[in-house]
Formats: sequence, C-alpha cells, structure tokens
Amino acid sequence: MSILYDEGQQAIATESRRVLDARMDKGRLLKLLEQVGEHDQPFWDTAVEQGWTALAIPEEHGGLGLGLTELGLVAQACGAATSGAPFLTGGYGLAQALVQGSDAALASEWLPRLASGEATGCVAFAEGNAALPPVSKVSFADGKLTGTKPAVAGGLKADLALVWADAAGEAALVVVELAKAERVAVASYDNTRLYADLTFTDTPATLIARGDSARTLARDVLARMAVVTAHEQVGGAEALLYIARDYAVTRKAFGQPIGAFQSIKHRIAEMYGLVEIARANCIHAAAQEGTDDFLLAAADARISATEAYDTNSRDCVQIHGGIGVTWELGLHLHMRRARSLAVEQGNLLFWEDLLVNELTGEKA
Amino acid sequence: MSELETYRAKALAFLQSMAPKYAREARSGNTVEQDLALGREYMAAKHDAGFAGINWPVEIGGQGLTHLHKIAFDSEEMQFGMPVQFFGISLGMPVPILIHYCEDKDFVKERVRKALRGEEIWCQMFSEPSGGSDLAALRTKVEPDGNGWKMNGQKIWTSWAQYCDYGVIVTRSDPTVAKHKGLTYFWIDMKSKGVEVRPIKLAGGDSHVNEVFFDDVRVEDSQRLGAVGAGFAVSLHTLMIERYIATDSGGFGPHLDEFVKLANETELNGRPAIEDGRMRSAIARNHAMRAGLDSITRRAFAMMMAGMQPGPEGSLQKLVAVRSRQKLSELAMDMKGTESLAFDEHAYVKTDWGTSWLNAPTGRIAGGSDEVLLNTIAEKILGLPQDHRPDKGVPFNAIPA
Ligand SMILES: Cc1cc2nc3c(=O)[nH]c(=O)nc-3n(C[C@H](O)[C@H](O)[C@H](O)COP(=O)(O)OP(=O)(O)OC[C@H]3O[C@@H](n4cnc5c(N)ncnc54)[C@H](O)[C@@H]3O)c2cc1C
Repeated sequence: MSILYDEGQQAIATESRRVLDARMDKGRLLKLLEQVGEHDQPFWDTAVEQGWTALAIPEEHGGLGLGLTELGLVAQACGAATSGAPFLTGGYGLAQALVQGSDAALASEWLPRLASGEATGCVAFAEGNAALPPVSKVSFADGKLTGTKPAVAGGLKADLALVWADAAGEAALVVVELAKAERVAVASYDNTRLYADLTFTDTPATLIARGDSARTLARDVLARMAVVTAHEQVGGAEALLYIARDYAVTRKAFGQPIGAFQSIKHRIAEMYGLVEIARANCIHAAAQEGTDDFLLAAADARISATEAYDTNSRDCVQIHGGIGVTWELGLHLHMRRARSLAVEQGNLLFWEDLLVNELTGEKA
Repeated sequence: MSELETYRAKALAFLQSMAPKYAREARSGNTVEQDLALGREYMAAKHDAGFAGINWPVEIGGQGLTHLHKIAFDSEEMQFGMPVQFFGISLGMPVPILIHYCEDKDFVKERVRKALRGEEIWCQMFSEPSGGSDLAALRTKVEPDGNGWKMNGQKIWTSWAQYCDYGVIVTRSDPTVAKHKGLTYFWIDMKSKGVEVRPIKLAGGDSHVNEVFFDDVRVEDSQRLGAVGAGFAVSLHTLMIERYIATDSGGFGPHLDEFVKLANETELNGRPAIEDGRMRSAIARNHAMRAGLDSITRRAFAMMMAGMQPGPEGSLQKLVAVRSRQKLSELAMDMKGTESLAFDEHAYVKTDWGTSWLNAPTGRIAGGSDEVLLNTIAEKILGLPQDHRPDKGVPFNAIPA
C-alpha cells in the first residue's frame, strides 16, 4: 500500500480533526480525571456518529472496509484531543480477532454491532508488565473462563472482551461477554481509560483460536492495536509540539520571546524531530498491514511514538514554566495520557525486546 | 564521637521520640489541614526541645549553633517525612531576611518565636504573571501614600500563601529607571485590607501555590526592608541565604533502593527484571549520579567544618537530581506495566513512583527552572557570555510589553 495519503485519507484526517476541535472540551476532560469509571460520552457519540467504529470493519459485516491507515489518521486526531474513551482501539483489536478467528457465526453476530457502535469492545491480553504472558493465569476449559485480568482499558464498560487465556497448557484466544464477568474499577491517573480488573468465574466464553494460531493471531492483534496507539501518541506529541511553539513565540522573559533562547528553541526543534520520525514510522507500519514485515514496522512505530509522546510531555510542560504545571491549563491531560498509552499495548521494554528478537530471528 | 556527631545522635533520638505521632507513616490519608495542625504541634515541640532556629543567633531566639548543626538536623529530619513542608520557605528565606533588615528588634523577636513554633507562617512573593525567571520584570507597584506606601498588583505561585500570616514582597517603586533599579522590598501582613489570596490547583491535584492580589494595600514605611530602590539586591540576598541546605540526591522522589527492590520483585518478558540490561544500566547510572551528588554534599560539609568555602558544584543538586528522578519514575512505571495504571492520590512521593512521576515537573520549575540554573552555572561559574538582553539599561516603562 502507498505511503502517500490519497485524497480520501486526507479528508478523513482533516474532518476528524475538525469535528474533535469543535466538540472536545478541556473543562469536561479535566472533571473526568477526578471521576473513577466515567468516560467522555460526547467524544464517544462523535466517534459513533462519524462512523469511526465502522472504518476498519469489512463491508460484509456492516463496516466501511477501510484499514489501519484510515483508522490511524482518526486515532491521530483523537490523540491530539486527548480523546475521552478507549473503545476505538479495543474495539478494533476485538474486531480484527473476530475477522481472522475461526468462529464465523460469532463474527457475524458481533461485527455489525461493533461497526454501528451499538456494542463496544476491549482487549484483555496483559497481566502485570507482560503484554502477552507466555502462559496466561486465566484459564479456559469446557467453554468457560476463570481468572483475573488486571487493569483492562475499557474493561469497565465494554460489552465484549477478547481474552488471552491458557487452555490446558495451550494458548487460547476467547471472546467473552462482560455482562457476565465481575468488573472492579481501577482508580487511575487517567480515569477515562475505564480501567477495570476483570474477574471470570466459570464465565461462558467462545474459543476463536488455539495453540500456535492463537499465538500468531494475538501478536497480530496486539501489533495492530500498537499501530493505532502509536498514531494516537503521534497526535498527542504533535499537539504538544505546537502548543510549545505557540507559547515560546508569545511568552517573554528578559525582554524577548523565550523561543529566542537557544535552549528553548532547540528543545522545540527536537520535539519536531521526534514527532516526524514517529509519524513516518506510523505511516509505514499502517501501509505494511498484513505483510510479513508488519510486526517489525509496528515495533518501530510503537517505540518511536512512545518516546515522542513521553518526551514532548516533559518538554512542553518545562517550556511553560509555572503555568505548565497548573490543573487548569491541562497540559497534564497529555502528560497522563502519554503515560497511560505508554503502558497499554505493551510498553517500550516489551517492544524493544520484540524488535530485537525479530531482527535476530529469536522467538520471544 | 565529635561534637557534631553527638549532636546528630541527640537529634536522631528526638526525632525518633516524635515519629510515632508525626512521621509520614503516622499521617497517611491526612488532609492538608490535618497535616498543618500536626505540623504546628511538631514545630512547637521542636522549639521546646531546642532544635528550632539552630543556626540563628541566641539574641533573637535561636540556638546559636553553626550551619553544620542545622544541616545535620535537617538531613536526619528529612528521613522521617515530618509535616514541615508548610514552614520550609517561611523559615528558609522570609524570616531570615526580616532578621537581617528589620530595625524593630522587639517585633522581630516576637515574629521569630511564633514562626519557629509554627504559630505564624511567612511566604515569599517574588514571581508574577509577567515573569518568574525574569524577576526584575515584575509589575506590582508601590506609590508614596502620605508617610507610607500604597501597593497594587499581583503575585503568583506563592507557596502556602493561603495559610500565611506574613510575607516578604518585592515591588516596583520607580518605573522610570532600568528594571532592576526601581525595586523596593517590604514585609506585609497577609491579613491587611486589600490582600486577596486565591489558591491555584496544580497538575497533581493539590493547591499549595496561590495567586495574591493587592488592591490599594496600605504599607507603612517601617515595613520596608532595605533602601528604596535596593529591592533587587535584597531579593538576591534572599535567594542566597539557603545556599547550603540539606539536599536529596533522589530529587525528593523515591530512594534508588526502591527501584532495586522493584526490579528484584518483578519479572520482565520472562526474566527477572534485575537481570535485564536496561534496568541494570538505569540502576548503575542513577547510583553513580546520586553517589556523586552525595559526595559533593559531604565534601561541602567537610569544607565548612574546616572553615573553608564550599565550591559552586553544589548548585548541580536540584538540576541533576530532579530531572533524573522524572525519567527513573517513568521507567519504574514501565517496569510495573498495567499495575502502574492504578493511582492513589494520597500516596507518598518518596515511596510511590506514579506520584513521583506526576509531581516531578514542578520540581524542575520551582526555585529556578532547569534552564535558569544552567544559565547561572554557565555564566556565573564558567564565565560564558550572557544572552543578548534587549531590555538591558532601558527604563522599565520604555520596555515593550
Ligand atoms: C510548585 C511551585 C512553587 C513555587 N513557589 C514560589 C514561591 O513561593 N514564591 C515565588 O515567588 N515563586 C514561586 N514559584 C515560581 C517559580 O519561581 C517560577 O515558576 C519560576 O521561576 C519560573 O518562572 P515562570 O513560571 O514565570 O516561567 P518563565 O520565566 O516564563 O519561563 C518559561 C520558560 O522559559 C525558560 N526561560 C526563562 N528565561 C530563560 C533564559 N534566560 N534562558 C533560557 N530559558 C529561559 C524557563 O526555563 C521556562 O522553561 C513556584 C513555582 C512552582 C511551580
């Protein structure tokens, strides 16, 4: 696939940004930081209304049949706006698993509902710091799931979850309706992510892949979600870059704009470098969707985007001086999101190892 | 045992006797107001026990000991996490400046006693919306008013002002001369008519800094500290008082042992995290950095004991320690993975990596930003040229806003 955006893709980028600019409200997001278990409904309504939930779902299941490139562009706009709910990424991961998994009936049942936004999805792979534990502590047997997945993004409210589990010593990917699970909200520094500990006790679940194919599918789903998240991180990092630039040309100290001080000027130029490298990696990764090179490209995107968002958060705040650390200015919305996204979908440590393993042919 | 070691041992015994009621562990979950009330009690107990105003002259109510005794006590006290945060600035800068410049000695003695006992708190009002780094750009103005002055304007980022009884402030008394020449310094009563304090909520959720507004506030000429027009020099004096203080090479975040412990308890991609090269490198490099800072502190201490002047390398402490703490906190969160997503707003900055991460940026700005500290090192220690200063020598009222 081309790494030059076509007109349709450019329109998606512009339109998603325009809509979010018009509808997102910093005051609303700041309030939500202090409420455990609430997301920004206007954001999610917008996502559904704009058809973002349908973007990457096949047409035969009621979706628009587009791919990672388009979803990535929307995610970038969401990142710039510190979006108020985690369902786009989780729903996409789940939908991909349904599309590629072995249960056609289940896919036909849920994909149209995910596409229309009538149902929301999340992905429960990680346990502690293991993004994809070699052997999950959640077990699957006889159509039932038992065990706990900690701090699952979107887990508190999603209808359906894709779970990485262990079926008598074999890897298993299963789909479970969360209405039948116990969910405990996790108070976080980024509460609209709707983190919840999900506990299953003989909860009915459907197997969609097992053994090596489960492992391969899980890695592909995780890499796809990582690419969506990387776009979101680039959107956030880029927003911070321009917030910093705008401040540096207006704020004065010692009789001149602070942007005239080389320490500030160069810091902002470095922020630009981080954003552009990460953006290029995201574009490349999205274009490699479905190829053998995808995993490596996803790792490049994820690593550079995580570094860009974390660094730009630190630096943008620093460039603002005192005003940068106020609640009201809200730069901390980005700082918090940079950290939560750095941990979701496998952190830097995970992707660095995976990348090196790919290069050396070692299997993780 | 040297006299100083004996003193340190006595201080430790006192602190241990206070710990069950006042130390960090005894106060978990407290509100700021509860902490402040306990803090006042603790300060009074410290005063009764003879550990207040350690290096201040006996005549004004101090203990008349050396700076080293004070650092010895403070570094022991720091280990306990006592509720002293409200009094740090008060006793660190404004009150010493009052002692130095105020001519009414009876007034000073009473203020010193009450400040040492935690009954009264003083704030330092330097920064303004128009500039914190560029102190001399301040706009709060005083005009002659009968035999005194009338003050109008605004300060910002004033730590603890909402709990303060008094404050020191630098103002513009003459806008027709170069910016750092037309400043005058005062103490003021925070309960004066026309003073309004509004707390500012910070990114971490707490509100210990404030905006302070002045609307036709009456100030007596007897409240002036230093000569009319000497405000910049008195401000620099204020900032120099605390030159050698007890420091924390951990940047006021968790001890490196906490990171090692976490790495020991954590598995990373199928291996113990402590065996992971990235963790080992982070531990080793942070250790080397902290050890260097600690050694600088010990050497400064030894030089002071020998009656020598410590070197300027002490100015590296906050700069190096806080920004390293910020990154180490992020790495600790990565190591914890999804566990790090949970956040407890009452957690302690020295034991919780999330809290340490979220609050680190304030440490890189308060008390001189990283950039300003680097400028000072470059210009004052290394003799590098100053930046271009377009406003140099220009009368304040002719500088474009
Ligand atoms: C938690 C906290 C507590 C505080 N408590 C007090 C208090 O009790 N009393 C008080 O008076 N103030 C207090 N301050 C204010 C603090 O001193 C200022 O925030 C600080 O000096 C920076 O000033 P500023 O916020 O105006 O940023 P600015 O000065 O506007 O700086 C903005 C950016 O420009 C950079 N910059 C400025 N000048 C230069 C230069 N020459 N070269 C390169 N870069 C430059 C800065 O480093 C920063 O990155 C506090 C601040 C905080 C965050």
